Amino acid sequence: MTHSGEYIRVRDLDVSYDGITPAVSALSMDVAEGEFAAVLGPSGCGKSTLLHAISGVVQPQSGTIEIAGLPVGAGRGDDSVPIGYVFQEHRLLPWRTVAQNIAIVLRAAGVADDDVDPRIDHYLEMLHISKFRNTWPLRLSGGQRQRVSIARALAIQPAVVLMDEPFSTLDEVTARVMRQQLADLWQRSNQTIVFVTHSIREALFLAGRIFILTQGPARLFDTIEVSVPRPRRYEDPRLTELEAQIVEHVMDEWGYGANSGEEPRE
Amino acid sequence: MTTEQVVSLRQITGGRLQRFQAFTVASLLALAVWQLATLISDGWVPSLWRIMEALGEDASTASIYTDMWITLRRIFVTFAAATSIGIGLGVAMGLNRRVMAFFRPIVVMGLAVPDVVYIIVAILVLGTEESSGLIAMVLALIPFVVNIVVGGVGARDPGLDEMSAVYRLRRLRYLVDVVGWQVSPSLIVATRTCFAFAWKLIVLVEALSQPRGIGAQIYYSFRLLRPDHMIARALLFIVVLRLVEAIIFAPVEKRFLGWMR
Repeated sequence: MTHSGEYIRVRDLDVSYDGITPAVSALSMDVAEGEFAAVLGPSGCGKSTLLHAISGVVQPQSGTIEIAGLPVGAGRGDDSVPIGYVFQEHRLLPWRTVAQNIAIVLRAAGVADDDVDPRIDHYLEMLHISKFRNTWPLRLSGGQRQRVSIARALAIQPAVVLMDEPFSTLDEVTARVMRQQLADLWQRSNQTIVFVTHSIREALFLAGRIFILTQGPARLFDTIEVSVPRPRRYEDPRLTELEAQIVEHVMDEWGYGANSGEEPRE
Repeated sequence: MTTEQVVSLRQITGGRLQRFQAFTVASLLALAVWQLATLISDGWVPSLWRIMEALGEDASTASIYTDMWITLRRIFVTFAAATSIGIGLGVAMGLNRRVMAFFRPIVVMGLAVPDVVYIIVAILVLGTEESSGLIAMVLALIPFVVNIVVGGVGARDPGLDEMSAVYRLRRLRYLVDVVGWQVSPSLIVATRTCFAFAWKLIVLVEALSQPRGIGAQIYYSFRLLRPDHMIARALLFIVVLRLVEAIIFAPVEKRFLGWMR
């Protein structure tokens, strides 16, 4: 897939915590419609802050973010485009059942009452969790909760789905199954996805393009096209080779080079 | 029945049996200590038998039920006013820094003022009308409720706030579905505390300024030096309050905290 167009357009973005500590600095990037883009960076570099800014939860100090030509707005009930968000933790309401959790965001997105149930059924079916429709989230496994979280994000039929290291808290086997399901899901839906991760292999497996960020405050260090055809295998030797190249490429920038005096943590 | 079900049943019945045994031992111990106090108090502490007699006597008079109803009504009025104002104020303080900055010193001061001061000031300012005592009680209880609710709101999960902002939940939906349910354990603690305090304080108000009610009757028995009737009347009302708790609070708690089990 070639990546043309500016469906998500980020320009000269500066974001800081409390207006003091910079988290993202002069960052510009474009994501095309229907693209699966990964944002890769070391832990704590400001990847999540970038997603928060794209979602409108955090206001940037300067710079602009547009989705489908509309500026991203903060707060509730504004006119900006709908965004689905899958967090690192599921962030489901534990006092609401799976179906109720999805229904709440559907109603907030203005979905008509008659459409709520069919839509819940459709996305639960898509994520293979229909049988948990009336279950409390606390009764589900980590992987099942994250599936519900993805179903919630997709059910509002958002312009963009933002995913913030959604599989990082899962065990490796579950995470692999989930990655595969997400890749299949994306191939069927062609949803625009921005996926934040610190795992190079995960980014390579899932994304068509990877935006590599610097250490915090995050700036765009490089952009890499992943030309390995789909469907991909997680153990594909071409991904292993690309992974090694990226590790070598980012070593200095992420503070693990010969001059940095630090050993890689992982 | 599967093995797991049998094991689980044994755990449940075992747990209940243990609780029953503990309750029985504690009750018997308390009764024994009371009886011992009777023996060494030279008659001032009434024996269990005398209390039972007084209980039977009081329970057979119609006026005790009128007094109970008067006290219960006062408790409910005080409780309803203090919890609704306290919860509203507590949630507002927990969500808004300016509201917190304004009310925090008042609440801290309110917590420090002895309850009896509220009662005396209310009597001095408003007279011995029933309403003055109730107003004093509401003012005394609000800081307790606010304090518990503020703690609950402050301890809410910021991740759920973020989720609400991302999915643009409406303000009311956010307050009910996100904040309200998270705070519900604190709200239940606050209402239970408020109810318990309301009973203790209303009795005091009745003893000091009212001619009717359980508190007034307890004080009346005290003036007549009839400690057995004092205790009997208090016991009768405690039974009623326990019933109210079992009928109203337990189902509410089950309804709002069911998702935790």
